[in-house]
Amino acid sequence: FSWSSLGLAFHRTHLISSLLCLESIILSIYIALSIWPIKNQTSATLMQILILAFSACEASAGLAILIASTQTHVSDHLRNLNLLQC
Amino acid sequence: ILMLSLALGTMITITSNHWVTAWAGLEINTLAIIPLISKSHHPRAIEAATKYFLTQATASALMLFSSMTNAWSSGQWDITQLTNPPSCLLLTAAIAIKLGLTPFHFWFPEVLQGSSLTTALLLSTAMKFPPTTILLLTSHSLNPTLLSTMAIMSIALGGWMGLNQTQTRKILAFSSISHLGWMTIIITYNPKLTLLTFYLYSLMTTSIFLSMNSTNTLKLSTLMTSWTKAPMLNTTLMLTLLSLAGLPPLTGFLPKWLIIQELTKQEMTTTATIISMLSLLGLFFYLRLTYCSTITLPPNSSNKMKQWSIKKPVNTLTPTL
Repeated sequence: FSWSSLGLAFHRTHLISSLLCLESIILSIYIALSIWPIKNQTSATLMQILILAFSACEASAGLAILIASTQTHVSDHLRNLNLLQC
Repeated sequence: ILMLSLALGTMITITSNHWVTAWAGLEINTLAIIPLISKSHHPRAIEAATKYFLTQATASALMLFSSMTNAWSSGQWDITQLTNPPSCLLLTAAIAIKLGLTPFHFWFPEVLQGSSLTTALLLSTAMKFPPTTILLLTSHSLNPTLLSTMAIMSIALGGWMGLNQTQTRKILAFSSISHLGWMTIIITYNPKLTLLTFYLYSLMTTSIFLSMNSTNTLKLSTLMTSWTKAPMLNTTLMLTLLSLAGLPPLTGFLPKWLIIQELTKQEMTTTATIISMLSLLGLFFYLRLTYCSTITLPPNSSNKMKQWSIKKPVNTLTPTL
C-alpha cells in the first residue's frame, strides 16, 4: 500500500501512471481486507463486494476524465495542466 | 439526477456508523460532482475536474486504509471508536485533503477557478459537509495539537495567498480555506461551535455566490461595473462580504466571537490572539472587494441595465440575518 501511495505522490509525467497507482492502492486494501477474515475466522464478504463496486466506478470515472483531458489538452503529460494560474 | 445522487451520497455519509458506508457516501459524492465540474467543454474546467478527482480519490483511499488498520488493531468497524494512533493520524490527513486544510489545500483555488459559479458554490459548501461530520464524530480521539496547528496554518495561508488575487472565485476559495481553519480550531473543545460556524459560513457563501452569479462577475474589474446592473444587489453584496469578514454588527462576527471565548476558556489565549491577527489579512481583501464593488465609480458611468435575472430575492434576505 505505501509503495503505491508513494508512487501516486511522485508521478512525474503521464496521468495514466497516477491512475494506475490509485488502482493499486485500492487493490492492496482489497487483498488485505480479504485476507483478514480468513485469519480471524469471521466473514466480511458484503463489505468486500461493496468496496470492489465503488472502486470500479472510481476507476472508470478516472479513465473518462483522462479521455476528456486528452481531447482538450494535447497530450497526457502533467506539464500541460497549468491553465489555471494565479 | 446528479443533484439527487449528491444528496444521496451526503445522506449516506451522515447517517453512517460503519466506515465502509462513510467511504461509499464520499465516493458517491465525488463521482456525482465530477460531471458537474466538467460540464462545459472548456479545457480549464476539465483540468479542474482532473485535479479534483485525483485529490479526492487519494483522500478516500487513505480513509479506507486508516479504517482498515484501525480494524486490524481493535477488531471494530465503528466510526466513534478509534484506538490506533497511526490510523488516527492517517485519518486526519485524509479529511484534511478532502476539506482543503493546510498543508493539503493546493487543489482548492484552482478547482474553484475552473468550475462555473454554481458548481463552485456546491463544491465549497455542500462538499465540505460530510467530511466535517466525520470529523465531528471522531473528534474526541484525534490529535488536538495537530488539528490546531493545521487550523492556524490554514487561517494564515488563506489570508496571505488571497492578497494578490484578481479572480473572484480564487478569492472565495481562500476565504473558505480560512473559514475552515476557524472551524477546525474549535472542534476538539466545543463541536457545536464548529457546526454553527459551518452553517453561517455556508449561508453567507451561498448569498455571495448567487449574487455574483446574477451579475456574472468573475474578475475584480467586472465587479466595479456591477452597480449599473442591479444597485440594490450591490449594496447587499457589500454587506454580505463584510459579514463574511467578521465585522461586529453583522452576523459573521458571532462565530468568531464565540470561538475566541471558548479558546480563552480553555487557556489558549496565545492561539486566540494569533488567529485574530491572522484574520486581519483576510479582512484586507474583503475590504478591497467591497471597496471595488460599491464605493468607487467607474470612469464612464453608463446606466445600462444589462441582465435581468431571477436569482435576486434570496440575497436581499440572507445578509440581514
